[in-house]
Amino acid sequence: MTVLDALIRVQREMDGSIGFRCSCRVGMCGTCAVQVNRIPRLMCSTLVKTLDAEVVTVEPLPHYPVIKDVAVSLAPFFAQWRRAQAAFRPKHADAPTLAIIGKDSRFRQLAATKRDCITCGACYAACSITGMNVRYLGPAAINKALLRVLDPRDAARADRLKTLDQSSDGVWRCHTQFNCTAVCPRKIDLTDSIVRVKRALLRPGKALTV
Amino acid sequence: MTSSVGAVLKKYRWQFSGMVAWTLQRVTGILLLLYLLLHVHTISKLSQGPAAFDAAIATFSSPFFKCLEIGLLGVVVLHAFNGIRITLVDLGIGVGKQRQLFWTITVGMGLLVFLAGAIPILLFAVLKVR
Repeated sequence: MTVLDALIRVQREMDGSIGFRCSCRVGMCGTCAVQVNRIPRLMCSTLVKTLDAEVVTVEPLPHYPVIKDVAVSLAPFFAQWRRAQAAFRPKHADAPTLAIIGKDSRFRQLAATKRDCITCGACYAACSITGMNVRYLGPAAINKALLRVLDPRDAARADRLKTLDQSSDGVWRCHTQFNCTAVCPRKIDLTDSIVRVKRALLRPGKALTV
Repeated sequence: MTSSVGAVLKKYRWQFSGMVAWTLQRVTGILLLLYLLLHVHTISKLSQGPAAFDAAIATFSSPFFKCLEIGLLGVVVLHAFNGIRITLVDLGIGVGKQRQLFWTITVGMGLLVFLAGAIPILLFAVLKVR
């Protein structure tokens, strides 16, 4: 039984008024992230028996406004997502053929480990910096920006780097605590992404490669 | 609270070592700052002549202060080796293996150096073994 199953049972059999969010139930939509026993994780991918605890505590994710019970608004998360310009901006929008990224290219290989973000918001909740500074980009937005910045087809590299380089709310706020990496349900090494962005910013002369 | 901390550590098998290391670095940093103040205070006795300085140093050769010195060594070693870990991470070395980095460098190598210094201090300065 997953924590989500347990909560659904509670809702059906004990208290129909409790509020939580879920959708796919298989860990691919990122809707049901909450704090289970003080760690941000997906309810649908957390088996109660693996928690190895007498009492299972389900709380709303920290650093987000609560809508109802354990359902939170991801508005702060997506505000940063937009600020990092997560959307792809093509260099050649009118190109007659598709740009090809070879499967052996270094960008393609790095992207394979970084592109699985399901925007569940767990990393943003686990990060202690986002808790102190609402303007900080947060791990997911930085990871997304890194993917765009390294993409040879992307046209907005300079804009994105400028946002990432902001001293008070860009990558430099990261203290490499690795909490984001520890909680990511997709096992994305988010701290690694942030370190890569920092190093790229420190060596502007060097071509941005992987 | 304690049970939830225990559950966190159990479940994640110290995946949060990055947070532990960060906290250690802050705490040891503040302790080193306090030590620095004491150190400057003692050194400033030199301006009052050799006798005043010798008196200050004599205070610190008591077994109690020698024990504190072992603690100081531990704080310095933790801060230094964790600093090396942070530098490596910032250089992009071993970021994907941060837990192993914490256990081998900060804890492992730190412990070796700490014991190499702490045992002689304990034997010869505190217990006065000859």
